[in-house]
Amino acid sequence: MRKSFDTPAPPAVECDGVVKRFYHYEHRTTTLREFFIRTVLRRPIHVRRAHFEIRRLDLRVEHGEAVALVGANGSGKSTALRLIGGIYAPTEGVVRTHGRVAAVIELAAGFHPELTGAENVALYAAVMGLSSRELATRYETMIRFAGVEDFVDVPLKYYSSGMRARIAFAVASHVDPDILLLDEVLAVGDQAFRERCTERLREFGRAGGTVVAVSHDVETLRTLCTRGVWLEGGCVKMDGEIGAVLDAYSASVTKHPSLAALG
Amino acid sequence: MITRAAGAAIPSYSSDRRDNLAELWRSRELLVRLVQRNLQIKYQRSVLGFVWTLFNPLLTVAILMVVFRYVVRIEIPAYWAFLLSGYFVFNFALQMLNAAVTVLRDHAQLSKSAAFPAEVLIFAATLSRLAEYGVAMLLVLAALAIFHHGGVPIGFAFFPLLVVLLLLAVAGIVLPLSVISIFFYDVEHALPVLAMMLFYISPVFYPVSMVPDVIRPFFFLNPLSGLISLHHSALYEGVVPPLALLGGMTLFSVGVAVLGYLIFDRYRATCAEVV
Repeated sequence: MRKSFDTPAPPAVECDGVVKRFYHYEHRTTTLREFFIRTVLRRPIHVRRAHFEIRRLDLRVEHGEAVALVGANGSGKSTALRLIGGIYAPTEGVVRTHGRVAAVIELAAGFHPELTGAENVALYAAVMGLSSRELATRYETMIRFAGVEDFVDVPLKYYSSGMRARIAFAVASHVDPDILLLDEVLAVGDQAFRERCTERLREFGRAGGTVVAVSHDVETLRTLCTRGVWLEGGCVKMDGEIGAVLDAYSASVTKHPSLAALG
Repeated sequence: MITRAAGAAIPSYSSDRRDNLAELWRSRELLVRLVQRNLQIKYQRSVLGFVWTLFNPLLTVAILMVVFRYVVRIEIPAYWAFLLSGYFVFNFALQMLNAAVTVLRDHAQLSKSAAFPAEVLIFAATLSRLAEYGVAMLLVLAALAIFHHGGVPIGFAFFPLLVVLLLLAVAGIVLPLSVISIFFYDVEHALPVLAMMLFYISPVFYPVSMVPDVIRPFFFLNPLSGLISLHHSALYEGVVPPLALLGGMTLFSVGVAVLGYLIFDRYRATCAEVV
């Protein structure tokens, strides 16, 4: 984004009154025969009940911010991330993003075990929206970052799961997005690699990149993020400085031991 | 009611169709990679490779040859050439119908974790089969030129146009079918029956001229009838195909492609959510 001096730069991410409803089907017509019968009888084709993933989300993330989304399972963190990443469409409201978005929702989605490491890097980079020219200039860096120089011509099925995750993170973090969305992908690889990831993300933040991260690893979030957003039941329960939000969230989890097991 | 937000730079969906087309154009490198991947996975660990791809249709053609030449005795000169010029068209269409049912489900994980237009997956499946079809048809054209025509007839010049028509018609059917089959699993069950019917109501082993006049208008409701018939004229007879049929099929294919895309576009937002 080019910044002009007279108007303030638009925020990196803007969610305005975003609602995301999914439907739980009490009766779902799955055969065409039933579909025709129900059409003729003017019965509803599906009997469905809405349940909310996101009840109401208003969120502004400025450029350069690193936001942690925390909350129990089913609180809508991943859905929020998918909405921001443009993978899901909001049921109501508007999601605006300014700049290139890279969403790392699931590491290694699109990887194929029969292809070599190098081929998978190329494919995953294309999934992430990298052009082949951009890939050519970054390929060496990605491979070195992942530490798999000696394995690039080996089919992926012979890789360890840690190596796979490292390749995926290496590609995703070298897409050079303006906004990086991370869903539970901070805790990959061994200790050394995790430190390299953290360093890479810090560098990204210093260069003005925006991060929205979902994780259950409170300590990583504390070192990486500047702001915390606590979601509960699809609404924002608390939004503020990272330390305060994480402390409040952790306190609520320990108060309800049953939730701690879920969380 | 889905109220879609008209936000900027939201990649996988938009209420503005031009945005979706622009996004498709931006995803062209992904499309190329996926086609590469499809072909590579299919062929890299197979010694005979493309021989297998040819084996199935050629075996079918051989059986049809024996049955309808020597048992049922359809009187068509150079019956083998007649079968070759139509069967591969039918086979391509059939493979695409089968692919339509599985392609979105096969990539469920991918479409839930990255924002890209879902039709890229469908086009990748189509193009990788088109590549195989292209190679197979070059061999067929060579065989027809050498053993049937003894030269390259004028009709062969129409082959590229026929490929485009076939591609448009098939894409126009596969796009909505792939979305329907994530909602209705019975598409998968119905397909084998449909395929069997389609084989008999398409002019694969008999020419259109053998179809009684009474049912001919209904006969052409099957889009494959017109397409295969055009291939018979251009490849088997080697003549300029009947222009009325060519014009009609051009209108039809373009219409189906546009309509199919519009239906797909209407439901694209559900692709990542439902699969």
